[in-house]
Amino acid sequence: MAVKPERPYVLIIGGGKVGFYLARHLIERGYEVTLCEKDRARAEWISNQLGTVSIMVGDGDEMAFLATTGIERAGVVVACTGDDEDNLVACQLAKRKFGVPRTIARVNNPTNVKVFRTLGIDVPVSATELLMGLIESELGHSELVRGVAVKASGANLVDVALPELSSLVGRRISELQLPDGELVVCIVRNGKPVLPGPNEHVLQGDELIIYSQTLDIERVSEALSR
Amino acid sequence: MLLDGRGRLVGHSRIAPLPHERRSPRTRPLRRIQPVRIVIVGCGRVGSTLASRMVEEGHEVSIVDENLSAFARLGEDFGGQMVVGSGVDEEVLRRAGIERADCFASVTNGDNRNIMAAQIAKDVFGVKRVITRIYDPIRAEVYREIGLETICPTTIGAALLEEFFLTGHNAAQSGTVETRAAGATG
Repeated sequence: MAVKPERPYVLIIGGGKVGFYLARHLIERGYEVTLCEKDRARAEWISNQLGTVSIMVGDGDEMAFLATTGIERAGVVVACTGDDEDNLVACQLAKRKFGVPRTIARVNNPTNVKVFRTLGIDVPVSATELLMGLIESELGHSELVRGVAVKASGANLVDVALPELSSLVGRRISELQLPDGELVVCIVRNGKPVLPGPNEHVLQGDELIIYSQTLDIERVSEALSR
Repeated sequence: MLLDGRGRLVGHSRIAPLPHERRSPRTRPLRRIQPVRIVIVGCGRVGSTLASRMVEEGHEVSIVDENLSAFARLGEDFGGQMVVGSGVDEEVLRRAGIERADCFASVTNGDNRNIMAAQIAKDVFGVKRVITRIYDPIRAEVYREIGLETICPTTIGAALLEEFFLTGHNAAQSGTVETRAAGATG
């Protein structure tokens, strides 16, 4: 019988807005979380807010401090301070010195996403980049929204809400001329997910979730407006 | 002064004469120094001193700092390139000519910043000779193990002080370690 894997112990470095809300969210979902914050006053404030969370006051780049956090049994370390260099070093120490299998780093300067990947961070997340993508799609292609990054492959999930008079309505999924590397993985119809077979017809009001390897929103958009 | 990997003092060594000592026609070696291209991140006391020395030796130097005012340390007639920007930003490093640099040093006052800048130089741009200053001896050791060339002034300084206490010999002043500041005022 398959045993449901236990939720990993998550160590969060940095108790700013991102770290705080992340900790709260993960605790609500039943994760064991420890939050590391170097500023004592901030740590006390978080402690008052969250109550149940375990908070430790210390620097995420100090080996001696990290060793006291139980880091070696952590399944994931998330470094989300406002400084890229601190996040990078915290993740590298976690991975190289404490054998943490998965490291996630907040990247503040979006051009550093690639750098972080080169330097061994498993998942670099740039809120700025995500936001820019969202705003960009709001500006140019109002029906297209760049979604979440898909683990490992570097692809994105793109959410396409079809405009009312879309030329796609009535066509089969197999007839959509999407570029290579793009695939409709789900149709959201009346708020419910539908698995799209090749013969499924696109209906008025549908929302398409597209797995996009190219991230070339222009091309996807063009393909969908044909 | 010779230090082992942990910065403990293990012996003395005379350091070869420095370039300014060779400058008199009598002692100047015939061999010309091959000029190198060097990018320095951080224009504090160490960065500015290093930059000035290397420019004086005829090398091509670019120095990066976030604060324009930091470049005042170089003096008005500095013959290298000054780039305002973050040393952990690829674009800024490109502007400083890192793509064709032979040497790289990161000497800002932030250990992590230095570590990240040096890793970008080494692993993203493939600069051959990269070194970074790390004040925290533990991080210096960790990154040395990982393969980054590091220099830790904390252990070196402590070892010098310890040596003075034990032997009455101040290596930093007696010429065993050269502390000349070439042209830098900081």
